[in-house]
Amino acid sequence: MSLPGFSALINAWWFLLLVPLIIFYFLKLQRPRMEIPSLALWRQVINDQRVNSPFQKFKRNLLLLLQVLLLCVLILGAMQPYLSRGTEQAQYLPVLIDNSASMAALDGPGGKSRLDEAKEKVSKLIDDLLADHRLCLISINSTARKLTDFTDNKRLLKEALSRLEVSQVPSRLEDGLRLAQAMSRVQQIDTVVLISDGNVPQEIDFELPFKLNFQKLTSGGANVGIVDFNARRSRTGWDVFARIEGTKKAEGSSGGPPTAKTMCEYELLQNGNSIKQESVSIEGGKAERLVFKVSTTIATSLELRIKPDSFDSLPADNVAYLELPAPRPLTVYCPRQMETYRNALANIPDVNLYPGTDNEPKTVDLKFAEGPISLGPQSSVVMNVGFVPEDLSSLVELVAGESEIIDWRRTSPLLQHVQLLDIQIADDPKLAKGVAERDFELAGYEILAQSRSGPLILERDLSGRLDYQLLFHTDRSSLVYRVGFPILVQNLTQIAAQRAHLLDAKAQATGVLPIQKITPDTEVQISGPNGQREAATSDSNGLLSGVGAQSVGGYEITGSGDPIKIGVSLISSSETGLRVAETLTFPEVSISAATTALKTDQPLWHWFAVAGLVLLLVEWWYFQKRPFGAPG
Amino acid sequence: MDSTKQFSSLLENSTLSRVERMRLLPMRRMTNRSRGEHLAGKGGTSTEFNDYRDYSAGDDMRYVDWNIFSRLNRPYVKQYRHEEEMHVMILIDASASMRFGDKFEKARQLAACFAVMGLMNMEKVSLFACQHAGQTPQILSPCTGRMSIKRVLSFLENLPAGGDFPIDMAVEAVLKQHRGRGVCVLLSDFLTFGAMERPMNQLFSAGLEVFGIQILCGLELNPELTGDLRFVDSETGMTLDVSSVGDLIGFYHEHLAGLQEHLAGLCRQRSGRFVCLDSGLPLETLVFDTLKRKGWVQ
Repeated sequence: MSLPGFSALINAWWFLLLVPLIIFYFLKLQRPRMEIPSLALWRQVINDQRVNSPFQKFKRNLLLLLQVLLLCVLILGAMQPYLSRGTEQAQYLPVLIDNSASMAALDGPGGKSRLDEAKEKVSKLIDDLLADHRLCLISINSTARKLTDFTDNKRLLKEALSRLEVSQVPSRLEDGLRLAQAMSRVQQIDTVVLISDGNVPQEIDFELPFKLNFQKLTSGGANVGIVDFNARRSRTGWDVFARIEGTKKAEGSSGGPPTAKTMCEYELLQNGNSIKQESVSIEGGKAERLVFKVSTTIATSLELRIKPDSFDSLPADNVAYLELPAPRPLTVYCPRQMETYRNALANIPDVNLYPGTDNEPKTVDLKFAEGPISLGPQSSVVMNVGFVPEDLSSLVELVAGESEIIDWRRTSPLLQHVQLLDIQIADDPKLAKGVAERDFELAGYEILAQSRSGPLILERDLSGRLDYQLLFHTDRSSLVYRVGFPILVQNLTQIAAQRAHLLDAKAQATGVLPIQKITPDTEVQISGPNGQREAATSDSNGLLSGVGAQSVGGYEITGSGDPIKIGVSLISSSETGLRVAETLTFPEVSISAATTALKTDQPLWHWFAVAGLVLLLVEWWYFQKRPFGAPG
Repeated sequence: MDSTKQFSSLLENSTLSRVERMRLLPMRRMTNRSRGEHLAGKGGTSTEFNDYRDYSAGDDMRYVDWNIFSRLNRPYVKQYRHEEEMHVMILIDASASMRFGDKFEKARQLAACFAVMGLMNMEKVSLFACQHAGQTPQILSPCTGRMSIKRVLSFLENLPAGGDFPIDMAVEAVLKQHRGRGVCVLLSDFLTFGAMERPMNQLFSAGLEVFGIQILCGLELNPELTGDLRFVDSETGMTLDVSSVGDLIGFYHEHLAGLQEHLAGLCRQRSGRFVCLDSGLPLETLVFDTLKRKGWVQ
């Protein structure tokens, strides 16, 4: 145990008050006068050697001693002593509180959640806050949010803490750590406290500039939840897949061994109507896959609910939503002069090619263009062929000459199974002086294929629109004679179909709502579960993005045409599995969960205050009591 | 006490009548030459027969027992007890310290009792009261006979208390004016800064048997005090700061017992007596019980 320290050592100057105290004591000491027949006997008593023993002398000035003690205790209290408990004596201490979905897990039936336990720990930290110390509360889930600035205002901290609720999203630590790092540029931060249930990514790509005290909470109880809910187009409708996972039970729990099976009732609802209801047995630590067939020709909302027959610590993952779009063919706009592409597209089923016999729609799923001037309908996936876009004109130019692709990204969805080796290209991209690959990245482009002299195929994903840029014209290359060309076009249609959700559908996870295409510059109202309401405005392109969806449930966007309903689910295997990381691995260091409870500097001033009060009472009693037998 | 019906405000009539029938019992026979009713140790001329002795030339023929002479044909002289006068000197400490409790009241009552006993037994009784140091003690000149009872009681009734005459100096001052052997009744609290050896010796040398009676009140016998106090001496006005008085009570009792033992020793060594009386006790208890049991009076 270390020696106590003092937060306000300057108050030690008050000890000088002892001098006047002692002086005034002897000057102002008033004893009750009592007339007695004679002092003869009492003088003998006082002169008795035994009376003048050190102990008796001490008792003789008991009142002075009490006053000196009282003053000392008060001054020591004012000096704000504390018992140092180690590293958490840092003056500025950010506290990262995990409030991700897994923090709602209860430790047992009717028990408390992980967040409640975290709040208790933080509350103790706040209670033990010393005068010159500041706390900053930061909540971390999928993002980080500063709940308070650095403050020693306990009321403010407690209020912010009490307002903190669980966000039903997976947790990411990086944002919180980066926020603390940003704060460390303003304040001297030596230590950051992380309070979490350990259900965080184990490997974190962040270089710690401070010490991290990882306070791991006790694990939650057993849990069963939906970790995946998606669908794939079939000939007759949709094949719907769901995955239900159960955690292992705690050793020695009443539910049997850790791998004991849990019976789980599930119910699938289509547009609110139950279409399937059965039970499934989930083994602890294992997952079960459910398959449903849904026949529909219109857009459909699916809802899957499960109901475990035993204790379930996390209710948020017991429901999942899936929006199935109405089946339709892929719409592609390809100018008539791009014959090679139209020929390749003609052989792909379920594709409506424009211009054709029908009128062109305002928007299509895929668009081809061979010039910088945009013609035809708008599309979320665009393939530009044979020209350098205006924003890249300062970086690269096309000159006549031969070139060949020397490297390409084979994992890119566009170039999967496309052999580009030994293709002769009659255009040669020439980089401007001093331009490097990084300049294209800064411009928002990703190079998918390049020649010796410069990039040939680029990809840009901007504001929900995916642009592929072929800087060379395929008609001036041997690519169109290769088998890779129809594969390239097929890949492109697959990408477009994927973007249009024509091939498959996946349950929307919590975090943010998917980007919605609505009327441009329109304010809409978003209502969520638990009565949440929010307003947002679409941009000039009609894209509504960045709408938070922190809770599981149905969201409805109104104010722009027909209401848009979106179901949001937790769908996180890590959160449902309540997997606990005992060690956090950073690039250069690993942080293990602290084995001891969070120890903070223990303030002692209130003990001194109590001692002072007791001394004051004793002194008051001693001073006020009338000597028995003394005349009034 | 209804003073209109009482002979004295100091003693009730019943007490007075009982006291009148009592007499002092000194341990030694210290008497004056003058005749009295107190038996002297030597032969005398009283009416009470004591012994016979052989006649010797020059003896008064009137004391020859002729009946014996006629039977034995030898002259024997009858001897009678000599009854001499015993001087009862009563010294009352009338200093301020005696004003506490009933000390002075008891001292006056006891003095009255001793005086009445002396007067009723035809002793010469004188009273002294010492108040202020340096001043002449108040004196009731020696008187005898029951006719003097009223005078004695009146003297005592009008006796004030107050002053700073210490008892040791008071004894010396009184002895300068006293003549006569007998008994000296010292009624005081004996709380003095001075030593008592010298006055005791002087009393003994003056032929006085000391009846030392220490009268203490409850505050002195059993002080129940606590806390820090500033004691003020009632006689001198001197102060003494005492802290945690309650813790010193034990020491006080030890010193009080030591003082009493010392005074008792001084008296005993000079054929005297010493007793400590509680002023809170009734006079009847003190006189008819305590003093009688101790054999001071009968």
